Amino acid sequence: MGADIVTVSTDTHYVHLAWQRHEKELADVRYTMGADPTGSLSRLFGVYDDFSGLALRGTFIINPAGVLMNSEVNFYNMGRNINELMRKFKANLYLAKKVDEGCPSTWQEEGDKTLRPSPEMVGRVHEALHE
Amino acid sequence: MSESGTGQLMLGHEVPDFEMDTYDPVAKNFSKFSLAEQKQAGRWTILFFYPADFTFV
Repeated sequence: MGADIVTVSTDTHYVHLAWQRHEKELADVRYTMGADPTGSLSRLFGVYDDFSGLALRGTFIINPAGVLMNSEVNFYNMGRNINELMRKFKANLYLAKKVDEGCPSTWQEEGDKTLRPSPEMVGRVHEALHE
Repeated sequence: MSESGTGQLMLGHEVPDFEMDTYDPVAKNFSKFSLAEQKQAGRWTILFFYPADFTFV
């Protein structure tokens, strides 16, 4: 789909290597593992925790022009839904082509109903979604 | 990463270019990630921050 997923923690790339080599849970990891040992990238994205020196569970989608298109941050104790991340990524790809449309929360893939904001739609979103 | 920006990022605004060291588990090799290179290559980027290597998703 033309995206690169980079996982980032405040570990070094040496630690990533060691963990990936030895931890069975990480054996299937195929994504590039990024190292942010100074926390500067985590700070830039607002996910650095000064008290722990760790990065919160932040997910950010950046388009090919370098523009931030999506942002989600979970606390330590809340896992992320990868299906929802993929839904948002696919919606971003779609909306990059269809700039005058909007993807409602139920949108899953190309072909699903979208919204086209207009004066006529004001007060009639329900009809636009369900007609 | 190289320090090329400060302040809060906003949706719809450009992310300042950055670089970081990476480990590629497929090639089993160290490399670098660069946002500037992603832009040159016309690639989307998904950054997936996590607290530590034992707390993945």
